[in-house]
Amino acid sequence: MHSHVAGDLYQLGACVPGENGHEAVRVYVLENAGQPVLIDCGSHLHRPEFMAGLEALLKGVPPAYVFLTHSELPHVGNLQRVAQRWPAVQVIVSNVMLPYIEIPPVLPLSQVTAVRPGTVLDVGGRKLVFLTALLRDQPGSQWIYDTLTRALFTGDAFGYYHAAGECEAFSDQLPQDISTARFLRYHQNAFRFLRWTQPARLNADLARLFHARPIDIICPTHGNALRTNISAHLHNVQSALSSARTALQSIGQPA
Amino acid sequence: MTAKVFGEGLNRVGVREIVPDVFWLTHCLGDLAKDIYADYFALLPNPEAYVSDRVVDYPFSAFLFRDERSCLIDTIGPAQRESVMAALDYVLGARPLDYVWISHVELPHAGNTPAIQQRHPNVQLVTMRGGDHYALHGLEGALLMAPGDSLPLGRHTLETVDALFVDHGLSQWAFERTTGLMFAADWGHNLHAPARGECFRFLDEMVAHGYTDEQFLEDVKVNAWYQFPWLAWADPAELAAAVDGLFARYAVKIFAASHGNIIRRDMQRYLPLLREGMCQAASMPFPLVV
Repeated sequence: MHSHVAGDLYQLGACVPGENGHEAVRVYVLENAGQPVLIDCGSHLHRPEFMAGLEALLKGVPPAYVFLTHSELPHVGNLQRVAQRWPAVQVIVSNVMLPYIEIPPVLPLSQVTAVRPGTVLDVGGRKLVFLTALLRDQPGSQWIYDTLTRALFTGDAFGYYHAAGECEAFSDQLPQDISTARFLRYHQNAFRFLRWTQPARLNADLARLFHARPIDIICPTHGNALRTNISAHLHNVQSALSSARTALQSIGQPA
Repeated sequence: MTAKVFGEGLNRVGVREIVPDVFWLTHCLGDLAKDIYADYFALLPNPEAYVSDRVVDYPFSAFLFRDERSCLIDTIGPAQRESVMAALDYVLGARPLDYVWISHVELPHAGNTPAIQQRHPNVQLVTMRGGDHYALHGLEGALLMAPGDSLPLGRHTLETVDALFVDHGLSQWAFERTTGLMFAADWGHNLHAPARGECFRFLDEMVAHGYTDEQFLEDVKVNAWYQFPWLAWADPAELAAAVDGLFARYAVKIFAASHGNIIRRDMQRYLPLLREGMCQAASMPFPLVV
């Protein structure tokens, strides 16, 4: 199953229930004029439905690229199946990553390209820009900006847990914006290092990114796409990052 | 130095006994490092220090306790699967592996877990309490540990330590009181030079062949810089206090990082260097491309 986000951008994947609520594991697909691009590959837990949804969306057109935000299991869990089904697919990763050991050895290393932040890839008539992943749980991470849909793919950042019944809802289909408390619960689990960060400085860099590029859609892996009220969602995430430092400083000390 | 080495190139894994029944299993590239790491180290602010006169290598390690109950800390990656499995067989012989203790779930740290579970079907995974959705990370059914919790192995007991400096949210460090071994995963590691014969050496053996405190400090600094990009927003004084607190709580005699050479002697000499390296890393420039 896939959901239409905007333009030629689609969302696939599923979620898992847990004590904190449901956690989404999304894969985004740009149809891209016959040269489809996947952002991440989803969880192994959702393999059959993910592959079926991808086949249905692509309608026989092989994906040209997989852009990996990073190589943690929920982001590469179906890379092997994708590479088996479309053996010519190219994989793009951050230049801080060491593909020979950080990517599952499921396709030739010659099909994996590491790019620096700032690289612009012109494919299918659109420009895709690779950016520093400001919030990351693995050094070899990257964010990606699509100049056509103005979507920012943020990997683990901007994630949030959702309730049963909200599994397929985009932000504008919810009764209210994703709250600071919801962003906080997710971000303090995903980014334990926030206990050391000075939030004003981190938030200033986040603001700089959103000022530098027109962003209409935020696409987190662990949440559904945020399609409206981008400035409000940015504000709520920044508020969550401000609270995370204090929240995390009480965690982790031996009894 | 005597290291038992399995495989070669991308699959190479060496085994050394640190103290009786505590083993270092480590992968590094050796002669291939100069090619594989050329671009990687070129991104550093001072790449000439790592890719010119002193071409460096970056290890990925696991640690095996052979006791009444055996425990493997981390698994190295799938690209090294054959050699890791051979190394486990070499150390354990016919004994089963009882625990796989996962520091965090990145592929080079936990990627051989499925293969080990296949070979040792009764093995118990051990991971950090406080997370959620463990199945997403292949950790369903794992024993969950919090800082201060202990895992008795027989003559050794592994205690879970609050992982101070992490990338992945679900991370844990370990301390073993009998040996004084502190496992600090991604923090506090040096680099080594294959051309100088430093692969698989303990740090004191590198020092005996010319490796200096200045190089150690520089290595710890640059490794922290690219391992923990959040240092861009951190306060060095807070980091220094945290390091001091850690070593005040634990009487560390052996320092085992995932990506460095093992410090098994003169620990007091390295404490200030570890602290200073972290502080200097936080003061380095962090170019952000937005």
